[in-house]
Amino acid sequence: MKQAIGTIPLFGLESGKFHDAVLFQGVDLATLQGIEASWTPMFDTAAAENRPEDAHWEWAAKALQALQNPLNYEIFGIEADGKTQGMMLVVKGGAKCFSRHPEHPRMPLVYVDFLATAPWNRRGLIESPTYKGVGRVLFMSAVSLSIEEEFAGRVALHSLPGAEAFYRDRLSMTDLGADGDYQNLRYFELSTTQARQLISAWP
Amino acid sequence: MKRTMTLNLTEAEMSVLERLCEGKGLSKTALVRQALRLYKSVDERLERGEKVFVESADKAEKIELMVL
Repeated sequence: MKQAIGTIPLFGLESGKFHDAVLFQGVDLATLQGIEASWTPMFDTAAAENRPEDAHWEWAAKALQALQNPLNYEIFGIEADGKTQGMMLVVKGGAKCFSRHPEHPRMPLVYVDFLATAPWNRRGLIESPTYKGVGRVLFMSAVSLSIEEEFAGRVALHSLPGAEAFYRDRLSMTDLGADGDYQNLRYFELSTTQARQLISAWP
Repeated sequence: MKRTMTLNLTEAEMSVLERLCEGKGLSKTALVRQALRLYKSVDERLERGEKVFVESADKAEKIELMVL
């Protein structure tokens, strides 16, 4: 089931203005078909050197996983101009949802399993991206969910190499190093303190 | 939609629940919700024929976790 949970502003890079977008919780068939029809061809036609690290992610399979296990998974999407601008799958229970941060070891948290912005919003993929801030809005939705679940805003994830700077520098997450048990991807956490700071800086 | 239930616990069980809630900074509802999710995720792995182990800090002892 898909439900609109709020209107959020996305910055239009061409217009130089903010545009209304809708944040959804859950997903439906039309959204998945839209992603398959509009995201996949752009990933497939990207030059090999520009092909994003997440181009192989299959959102339909991920959505099915979330729908089959509503206790542990939540899926969020952002829509504007009748198109999906970004998607995120998070886990809110299970083995991945315990903190490794020295500030609060073993405390529960929300784990971002997958987060992706539409190909037309990516600077590395096309010359003039449409919207800026999709990834940040989705990430803040994970922080909000963490607060709703009484996890004090704590969020964790393993980052693809191309997104490490975004999580480390733009979201000020703690880089806890490469995880040998998880394809050697670097593991990042937003601690309770960092979550408070991020929320207070959020417009 | 959320549904409400009454949970009957012994004094000892309630004491453990309250101690865990205090330690984890969670309400009783949030803690039971988390426990249920963890139980389910472990149970699903066991259902698939996987095994879950608990290892001692010095790695000297490794015990297979069994659940109901």
